[in-house]
This record gives sequence, structure tokens and C-alpha cells, in this order.
Amino acid sequence: MKNGIWFLKGVRKGVKTEKFPKTGPVEIAPWSTEIKGSGEANCPTDAITNGKWDMTKCIFCRRCFPNYEPTGNHEIFTVSEKMHQFRRSFYIYPLDSGACGACNTELHALTAPQYDMHRLGIFFTNTPRHADAIVVMGVWTKGMEEPLKRAYDAMSDPKMVILMGACAISGGIMGEGALKSGEYNVEIGGCPPNPYTILAALLRARGD
Amino acid sequence: MISWLFLAPFAVSVLISIWNRRAGYVALAISSAILLAGSFIHFDYIDSFVVIASLVWIFSSWFSVSYGEKYGRWLAPMFGSTIFGMVVILLSRNYLEFLAGWEAMSVSSYVLIAMNKKNDYPPFVFMAFSELSTVLIVAGAIYSFYLTGGTTIAFTKVDSVIPLVLFTLGALVKMGMVPFMISEWLPIAHGNAPANGSAILSATMTLMGVFGIVRLMLLSPISNFFGVIVIAIGVLSVIFASLFAYVSEHAKMLAGFSTIENNGAILAAIGFYMIAETAILRDFSLVVIIIFSLSHSLSKTGLFLGIGASGKEHFLDEGTSSSRFSRVGELLSTASLSGLFPTIGGLGTWMILEMFFMGASFLGYLGIVSIIAGSLIAIGEGFATAAMMKAFVFTQLRNGKEKGMRNEHTVVFSIGIILILLFILSPLFVGSEFLGGLPSVFVFNGFTIQSRFAAADFGLISPDYVFGLLAVFSLATYAIFRKPDTRSVPVWRGGREITENYTPYAFSNNIRLMLKKILRPGIGERSQYMAISDAFWAFMIILTKSYRKVAKGFTLGFMNSSIRWYMIYMILAFMIVLLLTILI
Amino acid sequence: MYWYEEGEPDGRFIGNTKKYSIYGSHYNSSIEPIHEKSAERKPEEFIFAYGPSTGGLMESVGLDILTPGEKITSISVDPNYKLRKIKVTGMSIEDALLRIERINGFHSASHSICFLRAVEDAIQIDVPDEVQLNRIAQIETERIRSHLLVIQKLAESAGFGVPVNQLSLIREKVSRIIGTQSGHRYFFAVNSVGNSRFMMDKLQEKLHEVIVDFRKIYDGLMESKLFLNRLQNNGINKDPESTGPAARGSNIRHDARNELPVLPYDLLDYFPIIRDEGDAFSRFMIRSDEIFQSFDIIKKINATAGSESMDYDLEKSSGTGMARIESPSGDLFYSVEIEKGNVVDIGMISPSWRNVLSFRKSMEGNIFTDFHFNWESFGIWISELGVDLS
Repeated sequence: MKNGIWFLKGVRKGVKTEKFPKTGPVEIAPWSTEIKGSGEANCPTDAITNGKWDMTKCIFCRRCFPNYEPTGNHEIFTVSEKMHQFRRSFYIYPLDSGACGACNTELHALTAPQYDMHRLGIFFTNTPRHADAIVVMGVWTKGMEEPLKRAYDAMSDPKMVILMGACAISGGIMGEGALKSGEYNVEIGGCPPNPYTILAALLRARGD
Repeated sequence: MISWLFLAPFAVSVLISIWNRRAGYVALAISSAILLAGSFIHFDYIDSFVVIASLVWIFSSWFSVSYGEKYGRWLAPMFGSTIFGMVVILLSRNYLEFLAGWEAMSVSSYVLIAMNKKNDYPPFVFMAFSELSTVLIVAGAIYSFYLTGGTTIAFTKVDSVIPLVLFTLGALVKMGMVPFMISEWLPIAHGNAPANGSAILSATMTLMGVFGIVRLMLLSPISNFFGVIVIAIGVLSVIFASLFAYVSEHAKMLAGFSTIENNGAILAAIGFYMIAETAILRDFSLVVIIIFSLSHSLSKTGLFLGIGASGKEHFLDEGTSSSRFSRVGELLSTASLSGLFPTIGGLGTWMILEMFFMGASFLGYLGIVSIIAGSLIAIGEGFATAAMMKAFVFTQLRNGKEKGMRNEHTVVFSIGIILILLFILSPLFVGSEFLGGLPSVFVFNGFTIQSRFAAADFGLISPDYVFGLLAVFSLATYAIFRKPDTRSVPVWRGGREITENYTPYAFSNNIRLMLKKILRPGIGERSQYMAISDAFWAFMIILTKSYRKVAKGFTLGFMNSSIRWYMIYMILAFMIVLLLTILI
Repeated sequence: MYWYEEGEPDGRFIGNTKKYSIYGSHYNSSIEPIHEKSAERKPEEFIFAYGPSTGGLMESVGLDILTPGEKITSISVDPNYKLRKIKVTGMSIEDALLRIERINGFHSASHSICFLRAVEDAIQIDVPDEVQLNRIAQIETERIRSHLLVIQKLAESAGFGVPVNQLSLIREKVSRIIGTQSGHRYFFAVNSVGNSRFMMDKLQEKLHEVIVDFRKIYDGLMESKLFLNRLQNNGINKDPESTGPAARGSNIRHDARNELPVLPYDLLDYFPIIRDEGDAFSRFMIRSDEIFQSFDIIKKINATAGSESMDYDLEKSSGTGMARIESPSGDLFYSVEIEKGNVVDIGMISPSWRNVLSFRKSMEGNIFTDFHFNWESFGIWISELGVDLS
């Protein structure tokens, strides 16, 4: 039967899902990982001061190279409060405040078989009413200020706010950050953040 | 002569209403109540129709006390005389009396519609078809007269099915069956009848048609063939009317089509009587006819009065604010028309479907006819539910809410309560051969209504237990959980402010698009809102237009006055001819 | 300026920057007005507000769908919910480039390369063919990934689970290839004036696996009548001014790769793929065929291309330049004015504004259920539309 072929095709291809986070990342682009080094930085966003690298501001423009180099450590995020209620089931709602499109597609890539966030109990939802966490991407824009506020109000407690990408946290090089400090729980650095980074951050945020 | 005693108060009410409208309506309500009480003195099957009709009249008159203020002085007397005509029909004992009542009803309702005219066609078309129905009924009467050897014009048993056929065709026109649908919904839809008028037209005028057919049916021999034809007409009407109701944009047009749909179901039940093989099934079908008529007449009244109270003609009109009472009342009326428990309409729908499915036991093609008819009626009921939802939401829920209670809201609310009450009390009037019980599960004897076509029962239902369980569980839930802890939030519309609402047109547009071939866009007046009319409308209107042209030419050569007077002249001449026939 | 000169408004209309109207190879300072006929509303119609923030849309965009229920009378698109004001004038070329890369991150290679070609046109640098071919490799790899995303979204709209996941798998593979070969998954910091640092070593083998997988998926999709049925006769595009795959799917031969020698596609014997059905199916086919075609182009590019890094003295350079290339969604245009190494004026025309117009025209008379297929098939990116570049 012709309709059955898709099922067989899928089965024949085998399991492509990686074992992350039990194992480390299989293949990760270097310029989306932690940066270390010393010396003159030449940084356009002042992400490096006194040799210390601030992940909330780095846009990975490589101007600090070769004094500073990427280390391959994908854990560039901070979680201020772990919410254990979401350990088994975590619904996230993406909201594009003023993103360039790279963050949108990186977040969307979490459903790819390599990462498969569904096996970890993380799902996308189409409405903030059913969401446990809202993932804000992109800089602050006047037009999206109100929808962002409404989306936040529409979520029911307990809820979490996640800022994804340098643009959302500090504005990066494109503008102002989407929210002020104190208004969010999790910040994920990167321009755009690597899917491994996002996944690790989501898992940490819910207490894994 | 005793029964004519009940007629006198109605005549008096009409006279009073010429002098004082409100008093007239009150008098009408009282006359109806007297009639209702009187029918129980010597109750037989035919008197059930009297009960149904008088209930409707009581509520409509009560409603009109405040509602009738908005219209001219002519409304109250015409309202009253239409009812008067119907009382004559109900109390008649021979064909002549029946016809006199029929004509009185038709002429009064014609005036009722014509006086509120927005344009010329609806009243004219209405009258033309009324006369057609009268002609057919007269023909039936004359044939019966002939069959009795020219001895009597009283209602007597006859050997031929032809009087019944002619009578039925005449009544069909009045009931607005396919293909005469326009004679019913048209005047109502085009705003020609105010709400109380629409209520008595839809709920009781069509009931008179049913009454006439049932009267004759009990006097005629059984004809399977005619029964199948009647079922076919009924079922076709159900399907078409329910579709047209669903795509209507005019509140009263929707209700008008719903009447046609319900009457189609009743007609199918009448047809079933004619094909039933056992006496017990015939009895069951008679019960179905009454219960269904009862539920339809009352809930349709509730719906029309609810629409009247909301002040809306088209669903997109502004309307007046509704109150909790009018909402509950109209909700129950629409629920009853959708065939839901715990209203009497639910019982009616259950019974009619049971009846047709029992018919599957018939031999030969009759069994197949029965099953198909039952299925199609079920489909029609489905569409009816959607149409009722549309009517309720867009006449009651889109208006603001008001605190107080107007007279109109009280009436609508009362009708809703009566619908539930009748459901609870239904075992009392179903007839003992269909009652039973299931003592093993604590359902005591006399509390279940059973459908049966032989000794064993086919299906059963216990209205009192249904209602009881609903009540008990609701109260228990409330007692345990108390008032729920709620948080009020604005609607999520993608982050935006809500500006627009789903329109009633959009509500039915999916069906409208799917059935583009049958439902053609309307012609003429209603270009602003896409009017829906049936395919026959175009044909009928051409027919009546051409007839009018011919008649006009003839008239102008014959009489110098307007068409309306000519028609009244025609009717008068008609009655003279009848009288002459009797005298001779 | 190599490719553009001032002239009469004639020939193919590309779009308007703040100062000029841009045509196929002319520009004119009188701005051509874009006429929009506003539809009259019937009383039974209402506006269904879709977005800006809702499921089913990748970016924030306000869609006002005028409908009498089920049928769509017209749609208006408001891309300004996420309007960003990006100022690059007064900055050095390198600083401006940082921002240009992030206008539309998903098509970052196309934007940065087009901008750089306009800059190189302004300061009149002759960039060696090797660098240019390296740049072409970037754009074509980006095209493969972009088209994979569009096809994935089409399958997603159809709820077609297995192909969605398989396409997602290979799209992620391409992202990883780009990340490894260039250091960043979206080509950030890969391009600069006269330079292109995309490692071609082993690129062909890695992409070959992806293309083989895609061929299987594509063949399977073409056999699925239910899926194709959603796309056929859906959203027929008749706009003669349309761009990109939308144009080429309607028998309109618009392709910047073939029209201007901004990048040396002629060295690779490039020809545009054209189809004439004009519906969403046609655009799906064009994109699928272009995936195979992009791989063929990459195969033709020498593995050693672009490894040299050259330094150019930008501080003394001045001039005006204009360039137009073919991004995955259609014509992308940049105009720059450079003074002593700084950007003093900039204009950009992205393909999305034209795709939105074509989309809106094709949606009239369509129905809600077919909405997503049509929207995705045009490949519209709001980030390059809702941006105020100065």
C-alpha cells in the first residue's frame, strides 16, 4: 500500500537521536561556545572587560580572535531559579520580539531528530495560556512590547521567562534588550545560541 | 351548541381590542385559558390540539400586552380574529364550519401581514397560496359530501382516500411544505409579521393544517402508497428547511424555516400512521404527532417571542439588551427545538426517531422507506441544532445585559420553564400502554416511556429520572466544590486587542459554500445581506407575477379598485357560492 | 558603478529605497508609487486577526484576514510589529557589516555578500574570481538550507510527520556543515571586503550525503497525492513583477544570477529553472530542483577557492555602489555611499516586500485551510521587511 511507505521509510532510516545530555555535543560550531583568552579584546559590544568574557553581550563577531578563542563549552547560560514542577512536562511558547530570524530557526531546530526535545518532555505550544515558559527572542521593539506583556499576563502561574540570545538579554549590537533585569529567570547567551546550549539551559531551568 | 360557548369570549375579545389594545390582549389570554380548561371536560384525542393551541395563545397574548404597543391599532384586532378563526376550526363539527374558520383565519392573517407591509409581494403571495389551499380543501369537502351520497357535510367516515389526499394537499400549502415553502417563511422573514403574529402563524396556523389532516386521517381508509408520498414530502421538507434555516441571516427567517422543518417531521409521522402495520404502532404514531406538535408549538412560540424581545430582525442589527431570564427562556426553547433533554422537545425527537426505527420491522419496501426517513430526519435535527445555536447566540448573547425584568422577558422565561415541566410530567399524558418501569434498577413502574411495536419493548426512556439525575449531580457538584475559584482574563488574540467578532454570516458560510448549487443568492430586495432563497422561489415568484398581470388586466376591465379589494371580493363571492351549494 | 546607471524608469521594477526607484539595471530618483487598492468591506465580512504572536507563524507579523467565513476576500500584512530601526550611517564598513549580517540572520550570507559587492563597487576593488566563487558557495549552501526549511514547513502544514522529521534532520545537518566549515552556523563574521572565509575542504562530500537523503524524501513526496493535492491550484501567482521562486514558478524569468554579473555565475554555466503552473506546487518544485542545482553549482567550484586573505586599505576610499543578487527568496539589492571608509548612505530592497504583494494577490478567493501552504511557499521573512535601515 502506497500510504504505508512513509512509515517504512522512517523505520528503515533508524534512530538518529543523539544521547545528549548524557553525552556531550556531537558536532558544535565553535563560534557559539564559551570564549576565553587574555589581552586586547577589540570588542564592539564591550563583552570582554579585564579579560573576562560576558556571555550576555557577546555577538560572536570574532574581532577578539586570536587573543581570545572559543573553548567548545556549550553551557553559556544562567538560570536564576530552577522550577522543578516542570521536570516531567515543560511547555514553551516562543515570542519573537525583534529577532533577525536566526534565533527563531535555532529554537525550531530543537524538534530535529538529532536533538528531539520531545523525548525530554519539552514541547512547543501555540498559545501562552498553555505555556509554562515564554522564550523571548530579539531586541525590544515598540510594536511587540504590548503583545509581550499580554502574553506574559495570559500565562498562568507557575511561569518562567527565558531570554534567548544576546539581542534579547542586552540588545547585542541591534538595540535594547527585550526585558529589564529582574523580569526574567533564564538567560541564554549566543548569537544565535546553539541548539545544544538552548536544550541544556531548558533542562537546567527545570531542575535537571 | 355547548362548544360555541367557548367561541363567544374570543369574539368579545376582538371587539374589546378595537377599543383598547391592552385590554384586548388580556381578554384573549383569558379566553384561551377558558378554552384550555374547557377542553378537559370531555377529553379525547382531538382535544389535544386545543390544549396545544390555547397554551400558545395564552403566552402570545400575555407577551403582546407590552409588545403590541409598538405597532398600529390594527394589530390587536387582527391578531384576535386570526385566533378566532382558528378556534372555529378547532371546534368545527362539519366541513362548512371548518372552511369558515379556515377562511377567517387566512383573511385575518393576510390583513395582519399586509398592514405591516414593507413591500407588496409577501402579502400577495401569501394570499394567493391561501386561496389555493382553500380550493383544495373545498374540493376534498365536496368529494366527501359526494361519497356520503350527498347526505351530510359533517365529519364522517368515508371509503375513499381521495378526500384525505385533497385535504392534505391543501393543508400542505398552509404548512409550507416543499414546494410551497415560500408561503410560510416568506411573510415572516420579510418582517411583515411582528413577533407575536409570527408566533401564532408559525406555531398554531401550521398546527391547524396538522389538525385538519389528522381529523380526516382518522376517518379515511389506510393507504400505504399515499403514506409513503406523505413521508417523502415531510422528509424532503425537513432536509431542505433545516439547511435553509442554518444559512439564514434573518432571525425570523431562520425560525420560519425551522417551523417548516418541524412540520415536515410531523407530516412524516402522519405518513407513518398510514403505513403502520400494527395497531400499537398506529397508536404510538398518534402519540408522537401530539407530543411533537406540543413541543414544536410551545418552543417555537418561545423562540419567536425571544426574538421579538431582543428587537433584532437581522442578526447584525443592534437589538435591545437581554436579561438573564430571556436568555434562559430562549436557551430552553432552542434546546427543545434541537431535541435536547430535559425539555419536551427532547422527548419528541426521541419518540419520532424510535418510531421510524421500529418501522424497520415492516415487510418489503416499507421497512426501507421507514429507515431512510428516520435517518434523514435525524440529519435534519442535526442541522436544526446548529441553526438554533446560531439563533440563540446572535439574538441573546451579543446584546448587553440588563438588570430588570420586562414583561416580555418574563413570558419567554415562563415558556422555558413550562418546557421542562412538560418533560417531567410527560408520563402522565403519553397513554398507559406505553408506560412501564425497571424496578430492578429502582426505576418504579409508570416512570418509563417505552416504544413498542409488539409485546416486548423496543426502547425506553425515563424523563423523570433524566431530570432527577441532572438536578442531583449538579447540586451535588455545587455542594462539594462551592463557587469555583476563578480568574478573569482578557481573551488572547495573538497579542492584539480584540476589535471584531465572528459574524453570523461567517458562522454558516462553510455550508453555504458547499451547497452553492442549491442555495442561490437572493434576488431583488435583499442585496445588502446575501439573501438565501430556494430554487422554487424564483419560479413561484414568476408564476405569481404573471398571474397577477393577467388578473390585473382582467380586474381593470371588471372593477376599478385595487387588487386587495378584488381578492376580498373574490372570497366573498366564494363563500356565497358555498352557501348556495348547501342550500341547494 | 559596474552594474547600475541612472536611467529612465523602464524594464523590470525591483523596488524603492528611500532615495531611488530601482529597476533591472537602472535607477531613478523619482520614486515610483506603489498602488494598493483597498477592498470595500461588505457587512457580512469581518477581519480575522492572525498574529502577531501566535502558533503557526515563525516570526511576529500581523495578518488581517478579511473573510465572510471560510473564504478569504483579502489579506493585509503588517510587518511593523517587530520593526527595528538600524542605523549604520556614520559607521565604518566593518561596523556596518556587523549589523547588516543580522538584518535577516537566516539569509545572512546573501545580505552580507550583496552589501559587500555594493561596497566593492563603490570603492572599485577588483575582487579575484576565487573569492567570488567562494562567496557563491556560501550563497548556494544557504539556499539549500533555506529551501529545505520551506519544504519542511509545507510538509508541516500538511501534518505529514515522517517527511517533516526527515527534512528537519537534513536541514540540521546542513546547519552543522556550515558551522564546521565556516565557524558559525549562520555565516556571521565569514565575509569582509574582498575576502570570503568559507572552507571548501570536504564540503562537497558532506553535502552529497544530504542531497542523497533529500532525493529520497523528494521522490516520496512526489508520490504522495494527498500532499500534492494541497499544493496544486493553491495560490496561483500571476504577478508579473514577482521575484524569486515565486516568479520562476509562474513562467516569469526573473533571476538575478542570470541578469547581472555581480557574482560570476556565468563561469558555472548557470541557467534558471522555470515552471509554469504558478501554484504552491510549482514553487515547491522550483525549490526542490534548485536544491539539486545548488549542489551541482557547488560541485563545479574548486575546493581551494577563497582561502587567501587579502587586506584592503579602506580609509581613503570613497564612492557610490549598487549591487543586486539572488537570495533564496528572490532579488536582494543594496546601494551604499562610502566616504573615507565610512558608510554615509545606505539603501536596501529585500525580496520579501514583493513576495508579500504577490502572496496577497494570490490569496484572494482562497480558503483558510490552504492559507499556510501558500504563506510558506512564498518564503517571506519579516525580519528583512520590518526594518528601517539608515
